[in-house]
Amino acid sequence: MNWVRQTLLRNWLVRAISTTIGQKLVMGATGLLLCGFLVAHLAGNLLIFQGTEHYNRYAKMLHENELLPVAEAGLLVLFVLHILLSFTTASANTAARPIGYYGKHSKLSGGTFVHAHNYMFLTGVLVLGFTLLHLSDMRFAHLNLRLKYDSTLDPAAHALHVLHDPISAPVYLLGSLVLGFHVSHGFQSAFKSLGLNHPKYTPFLSKLSILFGIAIGLGFASMPFWYYFAGH
Amino acid sequence: MSAMLDLTLKIWRQDGPKTRGAFKTYHLKGISTEMSFLEMLDILNEQLIQLGEEPVAFDHDCREGICGMCSLMINGQAHGPETKTTTCQLHMRRFHNHDTIVIEPWRARAFPVIRDLVVDRTAFDRIQAVGGFVSINVGNAPDGNSVPVPKVNADKALDAAVCIGCGACVAACKNASATLFVGAKVSQFALLPQGQAERVQRVQKMVAQMDKEGFGSCTNTSECEAACPAGISVEMISRMNLEFLKATVVGAT
Ligand code: FES
Repeated sequence: MNWVRQTLLRNWLVRAISTTIGQKLVMGATGLLLCGFLVAHLAGNLLIFQGTEHYNRYAKMLHENELLPVAEAGLLVLFVLHILLSFTTASANTAARPIGYYGKHSKLSGGTFVHAHNYMFLTGVLVLGFTLLHLSDMRFAHLNLRLKYDSTLDPAAHALHVLHDPISAPVYLLGSLVLGFHVSHGFQSAFKSLGLNHPKYTPFLSKLSILFGIAIGLGFASMPFWYYFAGH
Repeated sequence: MSAMLDLTLKIWRQDGPKTRGAFKTYHLKGISTEMSFLEMLDILNEQLIQLGEEPVAFDHDCREGICGMCSLMINGQAHGPETKTTTCQLHMRRFHNHDTIVIEPWRARAFPVIRDLVVDRTAFDRIQAVGGFVSINVGNAPDGNSVPVPKVNADKALDAAVCIGCGACVAACKNASATLFVGAKVSQFALLPQGQAERVQRVQKMVAQMDKEGFGSCTNTSECEAACPAGISVEMISRMNLEFLKATVVGAT
């Protein structure tokens, strides 16, 4: 195993990416690209409020696009990299302090609780769970036994079926809010990891990041809320 | 206006790098609020010596906030409750009568405890040794005006160079990351013309050494900046990241 490692490390790119800085660069880049995906995904999904025909037209357009498999593969790569690196960095970070403190207190204002940055791994894992459920509900619905998939339903009808499910709906609501919390730190953090921290832009990006988190969280949560909890 | 404090101290005691440590509680009476934190520990140690006990080992040297030797985690905060203050500059007036003060060493795999509150910070020296310098052959100093440095860069380089290498950034970081320290050391040269010749190798070597020492990675929480007695900004970390990215793209190896 060691010689595999040694051979790989002779490559400059592998060497760069295996450093802690390189890992965070990739983490930031993939995170930012995934944020872009979130925006597109949310914009598409919100069409359901405009009417099922709008939603179906969008779904049809998407599914008929020949480049969809390429986009899906790209998305998968982003997810896998982001998740894989979160595990490697998190385990290295735990190993970096084998003996913890008796008690630790932040010198930042606001204390520990409100800061999303203290929960990135936890929220990330929760989002992963939510994403897996979501994939099994939507992308792999035909393999999903729990939901009783009906292939005669159009995309909007299927989405509404899922949004009325007593397991999926609450998970979607909470998952969306946790996702919003996650990206509220992740968005601005990605810029810093990629090397952009500038007195002119960073204060703006930090505020934008919070707004982005709120928009993503509430945006996605609005659908399970409206259809399941508000009973529409 | 000085008042007297009676204190309970919970101090980490550990005989050596290999032995197990534990907290020990001490009661200290009549501590003047005018004293510095380290003077308070001096008093404790004098009393311990008189009792025939081992005094508490802690690092210190200049006692005026410039050497970076003092390094205590006080009530869970690196260098105590004050901001932009080293442990040696902390005064007892910051505490109240009957307070319990917990004192721990910096905790990081890369900073092993040598004894009690003293940790081995030579990991920082090794990072410096691989790239925290400029190689200039001796000779006549060039005329100052022939090396133009924009004022902004000179200021920023100085902001980085004020790092005293105390390790509070590592101690305060939830990941025990040394990126603020290394970021400052990389930035201080990257911003100046004298640092250009070795710019690419410097960041690569220092980052490699940082990883080898076993520090964690940066999650951009800014705890380091809040704990830094020299007020180093997390901007330095991003600059290092950018330097690293550039070095990866344009570097020969
Ligand atoms: S003893 Fe020198 S900085 Fe505190």
